[in-house]
Amino acid sequence: MAAPLELYCWKGAWGLPSVDTDSLIVLAYAKFAGAPVKVHKITNPWRSPTGVLPSLKTTEKNTGSLSKPSNIIIHLRKQKYNADYDLSAKEGADTLAFVSLLEEKLLPALIYTLWVDSKNYVDVTRRWYAENIPFPLNFLLPNRIHTQQLDRLRLVRGDPTLEPGEQLEKELYYDALECMTLLSQRLGSQKFFFGDSPSSLDAYVFGHLSPLLKIKLPNGKLQQHLNSLDNLRQYCSNILVLYFPSEDREPTSHNVSVHSESSDFDNEPHKRRNQILSVLFALGSMLGYAILTGIVSIQRVPQAAIAGPQHTESRGEEDEDE
Amino acid sequence: MGTVHARSMDPLPMHGRDMAVHPDDMIEVQETEQETKQEILENKDVVVQHVNIEGLGRTKEDLLGYEISEVFDAKNLIDVMKKSHIARQKLLRLGIFKEVEVVIDTSDGADALPNGLDVTFEVTEMKRLTGSYNTMVGNNEGSMVLGVKLPNVFGRAEKLTFQFSYGTKETSYGLSFFKPQPGNFERNVTLNLYKVTGQFPWSSLKETDRGISTEFNFPLLRTNHTLKWEGVWRELGCLARSASFAVREESGHTLKSALSHTMSIDTRNSAIFPKKGALLRINQELAGYTGGDASFLKEDFELQVNRRLVWDSVLSASLWGGCLFPIGGRPSSIADRFYLGGPTSVRGFGMYSIGPQSEGDYLGGEAYWAGGLHLYTPLPFRPGRGGFGDLFRTHFFLNAGNLCNLNYGEGPKAHLQKLVECIRWSYGAGIVLRLGNIARLELNYCIPMGVQSGDRICDGVQFGAGIRFL
Amino acid sequence: MSLAAEAFVSQISAADPWPENATLYQPLGEDQILLSDCASSLAVQAYLRMCNLPVQVCCRPNAEYMSPSGKVPFVHVGNQVVSELGPIVQFTKAKGHSLSDGLDDIQRAEMKAYMELVNNMLLTAELYIQWCDYNTAAEISRPRYSSPYSWPLNHILAYQKQWEVRRKMTAIGWAGKSLEQVYEDVSQCCQALSQRLGTQPYFFNKQPTELDALVFGHLFTLLTTRLTSDELREKVKSYSNLLAFCRRIEQSYFEDSQAGSSSRGFSKGPSLF
Repeated sequence: MAAPLELYCWKGAWGLPSVDTDSLIVLAYAKFAGAPVKVHKITNPWRSPTGVLPSLKTTEKNTGSLSKPSNIIIHLRKQKYNADYDLSAKEGADTLAFVSLLEEKLLPALIYTLWVDSKNYVDVTRRWYAENIPFPLNFLLPNRIHTQQLDRLRLVRGDPTLEPGEQLEKELYYDALECMTLLSQRLGSQKFFFGDSPSSLDAYVFGHLSPLLKIKLPNGKLQQHLNSLDNLRQYCSNILVLYFPSEDREPTSHNVSVHSESSDFDNEPHKRRNQILSVLFALGSMLGYAILTGIVSIQRVPQAAIAGPQHTESRGEEDEDE
Repeated sequence: MGTVHARSMDPLPMHGRDMAVHPDDMIEVQETEQETKQEILENKDVVVQHVNIEGLGRTKEDLLGYEISEVFDAKNLIDVMKKSHIARQKLLRLGIFKEVEVVIDTSDGADALPNGLDVTFEVTEMKRLTGSYNTMVGNNEGSMVLGVKLPNVFGRAEKLTFQFSYGTKETSYGLSFFKPQPGNFERNVTLNLYKVTGQFPWSSLKETDRGISTEFNFPLLRTNHTLKWEGVWRELGCLARSASFAVREESGHTLKSALSHTMSIDTRNSAIFPKKGALLRINQELAGYTGGDASFLKEDFELQVNRRLVWDSVLSASLWGGCLFPIGGRPSSIADRFYLGGPTSVRGFGMYSIGPQSEGDYLGGEAYWAGGLHLYTPLPFRPGRGGFGDLFRTHFFLNAGNLCNLNYGEGPKAHLQKLVECIRWSYGAGIVLRLGNIARLELNYCIPMGVQSGDRICDGVQFGAGIRFL
Repeated sequence: MSLAAEAFVSQISAADPWPENATLYQPLGEDQILLSDCASSLAVQAYLRMCNLPVQVCCRPNAEYMSPSGKVPFVHVGNQVVSELGPIVQFTKAKGHSLSDGLDDIQRAEMKAYMELVNNMLLTAELYIQWCDYNTAAEISRPRYSSPYSWPLNHILAYQKQWEVRRKMTAIGWAGKSLEQVYEDVSQCCQALSQRLGTQPYFFNKQPTELDALVFGHLFTLLTTRLTSDELREKVKSYSNLLAFCRRIEQSYFEDSQAGSSSRGFSKGPSLF
């Protein structure tokens, strides 16, 4: 209890304390349990003690560093930072059950919508990660995570020929929508899942749902459904306001959205200019090659030899060069 | 005094053992040209003193000795030319030379006889490694095919080929090693390693075969025999969610280890439009005694007889048949059974769409027979005669056949009865186009008859391409 | 078939009553079937018996490849083929048989959550023990899995399956766990189930639901299967209410002997491996 615990997480954006589900879970639990962890928000997984994010660095000799949310939560519990202290045995069992429900039904769809769905991946996820991860990882890491997540989906469904597409999307989203509806039914009108104080289940639900709530995705079927479930939406916003007030800065998200809009706008004239330049360059290099190899030749007829209206013999009709 | 170059006068290229043109055809052409000189040269006696081969690199000489040994027996100049021509074709048939030129010269040197001749074969060996790269586009699938060939690997006409096909849906590959016996090209050994995937929409089945096989060919009297052992790991699966349950039951993995023997006699003058001759092929396959899951005895035969009639037309009759006996009580697998129907067998019916079926998927049968009677005539009014027009024929045909499962408990009389009831047959006419020496295209108008419930017919115009036709 | 066409066809078939010749397919009971497949198959059989739907059990060596999703068991009803408990429950619901109609929303949410708990923890633990534990894989899983095939296909298929399962474990993060940790997870899961069951006869008081069938399938298999060590069986046995629960279901629904090879009762000792 005396030694400070250091937590390494992915950076936040869009009003969230972190963009990664696992990091969100750990951050939320730490806040709920009142654990005094020192949070490092980084974007380079290699700088974390275990090579993945999130990771908890302890100073205990036996444990070293821990990486999975479940391990981190168990360790925090051992250090007497226990958000589940007040739960009855049955509620503890329910926690396990609902966490499994999240992992089996909601997580695959979440992975799909962020990392596998082409439009979302290219427009939002890859862009954010590429902009925020330091060079040279920003070229390697997003693509690697994308392939890993697709492989994971394939293995979990047992079909090695799975391709991202409408069929897969439909099946995954069906399960996810059902899961969200069930969570909504279980939550009812309570403030948290087990009464008035949050527990580890709340951390898990928050970690899975808040990215859907906050990250603006072009292909947002899951988001639409979540928005239609008022109590869940309220629940997530509640947690954000109560426990992560500093993240919920409107200006930041506004800046981000304005920035992305303006950059979109800026791209237009750039795009045109780039297109013209590239076409000119291609033409110029083809001409240069043709002239150099003699396919096309520009002959200079000596002035003296011209007598009368003779046409000059320039077979090369163009006269520009770069 | 002078030199005589006996150059190649053949219009068609020759290559290795696929050569379908019989040497005798070529000699005819030559003889007509040389007729004028024949009188003078025939009477002169010659002795062949030396036969040389120039231009050898990695080819071992002992291999070639057999091919050229007959030239020594020539007695006069015409004979020398004939025999050296035959030797040249034998050398080309080995498949290791790009070109062979024959130079016949009077012999000179210390031991030269006045009527002595030196025959020299100037050969150009093939490159050590040739590669090819193709792209193919087929039914909703594109693929890239990479081929590598090493002719004459160790110097005695061994050939190693590797082909790799990478497609959007499947990949397949094949590695093959071929070795002839020196001096006896007809006897050879082939080793194969392959992976092949196939999709069979008529059965809603997809099959992936990975296998290894060794094959031994040898001639015996006038017949050709092939002995083969094959070990295949077959993976069967349903092509669509809606496949019938009978096909679904066949999904899974099986291992087949089979010995087979084929005997064939082919006296036809051409494989595609034969004018005369006959073909008889008998094949038997025994699986299960050398390991594996599949256990059966399979027999099938193919018979074709051709006869020329008036006005360049040819009458051709063919008969196919086969039978599969499962051994040891295990039922036969869908991948081993026979199939019937389509533009290459009984015309007028859908591809392999005759016989036992379940919910629209054709399961094949354990016994079948099929017969065809064709009349081939050149195109009416003979357009393009002597050139392009010779690749086409019109044909009138009558096909019949039956495919069923036999109950092996009953006697042969019951079997015969079962094969004879419910005969499917069809008749019609069409145009046939020859592709090279191995394949043909057909466009027919067919009228199917004797259709049983469950068969799928292709009434009217039907198009077919293939190698083996009924 | 597209999803829409499938839905249409299943709607059409929903109108047909449950036929007499419905068949359930699973791998060979004596020699081939493994722990996880046996548990899943028993769960489906229990569910169908609870719904009072007759089904014949048919054992095929290639059941896994026959199944449209690659997982056993699957049922062949009329001309429909449905695999795994979840889709089978939906399929029977479309035909008008359901065990969970009497539940309210919160209870239904809990039921689904607990079913996922069993799938997430028990099933994954079973797969881990079968294929990732070196001893079990070498002595039990590989020989059994490959028993219908001849050499060398049996080795190829067994190793292929092992490799595939290990990759899956790595993807979901179980590869780093030790056998002890997996046993601990199983124990935790059983504790949660035991807590939820409490003193009730079934999970949702008087009537069994698909959750009861699923839990019965897995626990009964864990109790009656001989593995390389008895530790797992002892852990499950230590929860007496779960033990009573399994016995109760076995007596109520499997008393008419057959029920695959698991009807000889676990009091006499293991009968599956």
